[in-house]
Amino acid sequence: MNAVDTALAPKPAVRLISGNHACALGALAAGCRFFAGYPITPSSEIAERLSRLLPEVDGVFVQMEDEIASIAAVIGASMGGVKALTATSGPGFSLKQENIGYAAGAEIPCVIVNVMRGGPSTGMPTRPAQGDIMQARWGSHGDYPIVVLAPASVREIYDETMRAFDLAETCRTPVVLLYDQVIAQLAETVELGDTSDLARTERKWASGPRAAYQPYAADEDGIPAMSRPGAGYRVHTTGLNHAENGFPTQNPEAVARNLGRLLTKLDRHRDAIDSWQTINCDDAEVLIVAIGISARAATRALDIARARGVRAGLFRPITLWPFPETALREVAARARAVLVPEMNAGQLSLEVERILGGKRVEGMHRFNGEPITPAEIAARAESLAKAALAKETR
Amino acid sequence: MRDSRVEIRIGGTGGQGLILCAKMLADALAAAGKHVAQSQTYEPTSRGGYCNSDLVISDGEVDFPLATALDWLVLLDRLAIRPSWPLLKPGALVIADTRLCPDLPEGDRRAHHLPLSRTAIELGSERVANIVALGALAALAEICERRALEQAVRADTPRSFLDLNLDALAAGYRLGEQAITAPSSTSAG
Repeated sequence: MNAVDTALAPKPAVRLISGNHACALGALAAGCRFFAGYPITPSSEIAERLSRLLPEVDGVFVQMEDEIASIAAVIGASMGGVKALTATSGPGFSLKQENIGYAAGAEIPCVIVNVMRGGPSTGMPTRPAQGDIMQARWGSHGDYPIVVLAPASVREIYDETMRAFDLAETCRTPVVLLYDQVIAQLAETVELGDTSDLARTERKWASGPRAAYQPYAADEDGIPAMSRPGAGYRVHTTGLNHAENGFPTQNPEAVARNLGRLLTKLDRHRDAIDSWQTINCDDAEVLIVAIGISARAATRALDIARARGVRAGLFRPITLWPFPETALREVAARARAVLVPEMNAGQLSLEVERILGGKRVEGMHRFNGEPITPAEIAARAESLAKAALAKETR
Repeated sequence: MRDSRVEIRIGGTGGQGLILCAKMLADALAAAGKHVAQSQTYEPTSRGGYCNSDLVISDGEVDFPLATALDWLVLLDRLAIRPSWPLLKPGALVIADTRLCPDLPEGDRRAHHLPLSRTAIELGSERVANIVALGALAALAEICERRALEQAVRADTPRSFLDLNLDALAAGYRLGEQAITAPSSTSAG
């Protein structure tokens, strides 16, 4: 490599920042003004950054006594009308689950970052994993809706953090940002535009006659308007199943009506929620489905495979839950085989199998803390392509 | 694949400041318009244990941000040999500390044994061995402007360490420049 040509003027807006740093900046740009958390590797840099940045914009940073208190404080802040964030890793994410269910059930907008490290339990604090894919969707008890976003680069963490707040506000739901240790602590050169004049989404606030207000009576879009604190609307919020008036009920019709609305409310917003990336899928005989660092490896694997004559393509869900299943079905229809590399014992592959019912889905699973390499994915894609071809010509 | 990808690893043990010096190099390269991905591997201890920081440098966007084939390897402890050796590209260049990493395995690589940590100790603190290594690497690899690297070192150094770090960087450059004229070893030791 030659010395860098200094005649190439450096672009002033290019910065070298980590994924966790990008998350903190994205949260600020989205209008987040409250953070409560408890430090845990490999997510602590988010708290560290926000402890300096939030006070500069008259925001509040609180280091709480534990992870349960952190999510509780975030829910309280959001009920108080502020965009709020907490960040953690596996063990802390487990602790937060009950209150994530509360936020889902009581429809309190909030954003939870979970940086995935080795598990179970305290696992491998400094090593990457992708073992919380199912927990992010199903970690709290009962049936509930949730949005989970899975960025794969520093730049995307910035963008998806902003989108997480927008979706949380629009859909009155907790949104989980899920990424692995590699992406979290990776520093990459990114160009961040000026977002200071970007109009960000705010939740729908109650308006109209106070006497008629029902805190859980939804509009056409399935989302009830929230009362701004101090606005004089009568509000009751509970984790118990509730009727439109917000008060607890076990009346079967009222529960079926209100819980039914809750469980289908995201369906009406799928255009805004769903997000995915496809690379070289048009002629792909082997389709790779991956997220995070495994998707970064797969991106390079595509070139290696194609150089060997194997037409490989990548489908990368950026929104992980609800899974963009229609898009995956369309892309996979043309492929002979599907390969799912992931840093766990088999989670994403289960969902891909479910969606593509009947199609052969091969999992490529690793849980020892070592990322799967591009060469390994390319080799597996090649053997899959050969096996599929042999089966067809037999 | 024909791309401009260049990979560098700085390996050693936790507490040697490997991630910091890799960040300084990454900052200097980023300032010059390169696309850089800087990753880190460390143990859950504040000191000790295997640690490295890798740089993947490209003219375009970096697809896979982790090391797959190292062009340059800096070794500040023998602990870093085992995980790094299989990643060396044929003909890769290794800079190893004479004191902390005296023996190297066989392999198709060129190696410079340099007194990085001893130089740091002579300057007043072994803690700046990372910056000596950074200077030596920059001189040998010629990957960025010296001025840009100095600027990055200044930006990331507390005032009380600034003179020492700048001396360490200069000493590293001298070691690297001397090594260019000296023949590198192509076998073990």
